[in-house]
Amino acid sequence: MIFKPYNQYFVILSEMEIGKDILEKIGKPSMAVPEGYFDSLKTRLESIPTREASRRPDWAKVRPYLALAASFTAILVIGNSVLRHTASKNQINLADSFESSYVEMISLTNPSTIYNVFESEVEEISDEDIINYLIESGATAEQLAYAGNNLR
Amino acid sequence: MTDKEILDLYKSGRREAAFREIVESYSERLYWHVRRFLCSHEDTDDLLQEIFIKVWNALPGFRGESQLYTWIYRVATNESLNFLQKMKIRSALQFESISAKMEERIDEDVHLDGDKLQRDLMKAVQRLPAKQRTVFIMRWFDDMSYEDISEILGTSVGALKASYHFASEKIKAELEKNLK
Repeated sequence: MIFKPYNQYFVILSEMEIGKDILEKIGKPSMAVPEGYFDSLKTRLESIPTREASRRPDWAKVRPYLALAASFTAILVIGNSVLRHTASKNQINLADSFESSYVEMISLTNPSTIYNVFESEVEEISDEDIINYLIESGATAEQLAYAGNNLR
Repeated sequence: MTDKEILDLYKSGRREAAFREIVESYSERLYWHVRRFLCSHEDTDDLLQEIFIKVWNALPGFRGESQLYTWIYRVATNESLNFLQKMKIRSALQFESISAKMEERIDEDVHLDGDKLQRDLMKAVQRLPAKQRTVFIMRWFDDMSYEDISEILGTSVGALKASYHFASEKIKAELEKNLK
């Protein structure tokens, strides 16, 4: 039977007057859950072991891979230290060579010095080379005479 | 299945089957236990997942020094109290009172079928100090024995009886005040 609040208060008050506990009279609040909730809850909870297994690595399975990774790391560390040792010797040899010492002397603030470095590497072209080129390329006698007059 | 049978199943190596039995035996009971602390169906649902994950991960370390029942309830109670503590801190940072927030939850809880008096009772419970509230929920709502509560909370039976007495007196006084 459902009482309206006013009637319920009246009933509780009158029962209290005859020595009944208010907590007993009010009773435990009834709570509800959505329909079928506990079935779906159980299904979700029962899947926890599977979910946790996929989230956490199985150390027994992972151990061989970890050992392999550790071996590779060791090889890399040893190899790196050996290479560093030999590389330092090579650097000394390179420093002795003309090119590397010259390049190290280039001023980064003056670009013209960079071009000057390469100027010396361009081979000089002689007048004879120009004449030969003109003959090979089929130049006329007038053209050859003109070139000869203008060349050194 | 009894707790002993569940533990035997677990020790035999059928760990997932044992866990399924734990879910079968405890999920609904723990739901109501946690719900009375949190006053929210949604938060209870979320926290139950966390509780059962903790149970699953902690099961290998369970040595059987206490009953499975009290051990699981201890995990659930601690998690509920931690949740409320975090909520209290969040409320304080937003300059809100945790009691006001809990009362708001009770008023807005569409899954709470109780009438106004029962909502007043729930609000009065939420206004209790944490220890008294915990004892009252476990004793009055969950019908647990003082001995079991003592094992779960690690408090003496005498102290629990005193806490329960003070808690119920406060609630009765508040409800009677509301009736007049």
